[in-house]
Amino acid sequence: MIVLDKVSKIYPISKENQVAAVQDINLEIPMGEFLVITGRSGSGKTTLLNLAAGLTRPTSGRVLFEGVDWWSLPDREQSLTRNQKIGFVFQFPSLLPALTVLENIALPTIINHSQDFQEIYPRAVKLVETLGLSDKRSSYPRQLSAGQQQRVVIARALLNQPAVLLADEPTSNLDEQTELEIMELFAEIHQRTGITIVLVTHSAQLVRFGTQSVQMAVGQVVTKQT
Amino acid sequence: MAALYRLALCNIRGYSFRSWVVGLCALLISGLVLATSLILLGAESSLRLAIDRLGADIIVVPEGAATRVETALLMGRPTKVWMPASALDTVAAIPGVEAVSPQVYLASLTNASCCTVSDMFLIVFDPKTDFVVKPWLEKTIGGNLQLGDVIGGSSVYVPEEGIKLYGYYLNLRKNLAPTGTGLDQSLFMTMDTAQEMRRVSLTEAVQPLEIPTNSISAVLVKLKPGANVYAVALEISDRDRTITPIVSPDMFQSYQGQLKGLLGGVLVMIVIILAFSMLLIGLVFSMAANERRRELGVLRAMGASRGFVFRSLVMEAALLAINGGIAGVLLTFLILTLFRNLIISILGMPFLLPSLPVLILLVVGVICLSLVIVVLAASLPAYRISHLDPSIAMRE
Ligand SMILES: Nc1ncnc2c1ncn2[C@@H]1O[C@H](COP(=O)(O)OP(=O)(O)OP(=O)(O)O)[C@@H](O)[C@H]1O
Ligand SMILES: [Mg+2]
Repeated sequence: MIVLDKVSKIYPISKENQVAAVQDINLEIPMGEFLVITGRSGSGKTTLLNLAAGLTRPTSGRVLFEGVDWWSLPDREQSLTRNQKIGFVFQFPSLLPALTVLENIALPTIINHSQDFQEIYPRAVKLVETLGLSDKRSSYPRQLSAGQQQRVVIARALLNQPAVLLADEPTSNLDEQTELEIMELFAEIHQRTGITIVLVTHSAQLVRFGTQSVQMAVGQVVTKQT
Repeated sequence: MAALYRLALCNIRGYSFRSWVVGLCALLISGLVLATSLILLGAESSLRLAIDRLGADIIVVPEGAATRVETALLMGRPTKVWMPASALDTVAAIPGVEAVSPQVYLASLTNASCCTVSDMFLIVFDPKTDFVVKPWLEKTIGGNLQLGDVIGGSSVYVPEEGIKLYGYYLNLRKNLAPTGTGLDQSLFMTMDTAQEMRRVSLTEAVQPLEIPTNSISAVLVKLKPGANVYAVALEISDRDRTITPIVSPDMFQSYQGQLKGLLGGVLVMIVIILAFSMLLIGLVFSMAANERRRELGVLRAMGASRGFVFRSLVMEAALLAINGGIAGVLLTFLILTLFRNLIISILGMPFLLPSLPVLILLVVGVICLSLVIVVLAASLPAYRISHLDPSIAMRE
């Protein structure tokens, strides 16, 4: 369970001005849900995801991940939790250009040096197969289409079999057909593994893929649906 | 660690501009420091070896000829200086002097048809009184030089036709160990051989060899144990104003001074270059790290700790430094061997490569130096980037 307890994130812009990217949000995300967050650009969706993952410290309020306040942990433990429990799909191209597809997918284990590349290799290969990228495993990201790149990012997010998958507008760079394919992939993964998914999108049509949805406007949650 | 290494390698591959700049800086640092220490240390040991080789406590030369004789002995640039042979007796009579022996300095002709080697410095000694060459001869060839025999410096070789000077064929008996100085290109011969060469040159050479009668070029002086070099030197110049004593500790003094000046200049230059490369590496590294902010933010989001990000950046820098450092060492050796003579003539000073252990120590030292410099320079930007809030790092 991820709990946001009266969380605000305020960015100073100049000496007098500041922006409340997220303001006084109370939100509970139970395990096993597929939550879709919608909202216009600038409504604070990315900030909310970053707060949930402990990537940025809230200006006020608490963020609990599995009952533990992110900010009661030192950096090492925060990082380890993220590595083991959270998979990220970003709003922007996030594959490392210098690494091949397979190496990119293996990155989460390279970072957490408890496992050897040799050990996770079969798992990475299997993921590549499941996501239909078998013939691309030695390619570099620039040699892939946007849709293929996003599949690689999803594979990477799933490598450590995390409890939570956080996806920030994962289909915003894709055409409609590919967008649907990727959304179906998320739904399928959710059904098959029971993983918790929090997916951000600005397209209200994608709400139907989730089990819950919330809408954001100017840093606040305006509606919740189940 | 292995994973970190792989990641670093991939990034080096991926960011080639940054990698080249950092690698080249490391190359410059290691190459420059190695080259200057090799040349300076080498020049120092060359000078010391040349002094030892001369084996005399004092060398007496004609007044005003000291610098020319030193240059001849050090650089092998031939010189002809003369003083009356009576100087020998004057010096021998001074209390504290144990032995004296004359030397005559000659030169081979330049590009003459009579000669197979040109512009060579010839050192003529007197086997009856000599105390420098003879002990060495007994040890290596077990006897004396016969008429026509010569001893060569380490780089003297016999051309196809044989060594012919002034139309006279010489027989190279042995080469001396290298000193890195002009002595390596000099020939040692006895008075008899020199006189014979003079006789032959009258008919066979383009220009006859002139050895003024009753004249010598230098007197080598060996002191009795306990005698004060400076006191004897003073006495020598007191007794005969037309001759100049050079005491061996002060030998090549102008060169030693030059060496000190060079050392100072080079040190300043190295410090400037080190500071400049640190600045440049820091700049390029923070530029590249900035460019990679988003990528590093992504790594953090995937669970990389600050320490991991810092270490992987520093690891990249270290790999570049070591590779650049090794390249610098190789390049230095290549240049020093290919252009050795050019460097000596530009520098106006010989240098001798140090022994293998010293060499290895130097090489390891300069590679460590470039490692330390590069890692230090990269540390600050690496620290800054690794402590950036990942959510901010990921924003463009
Ligand atoms: N580091 C920051 N410094 C200043 N302002 C920021 C920062 N991060 C976010 N903001 C502001 O906070 C608000 C919310 O930003 P956020 O990125 O969360 O929006 P979003 O809903 O994800 O928008 P989009 O759909 O365009 O991605 C915006 O007004 C943004 O300008
Ligand atoms: Mg966003």
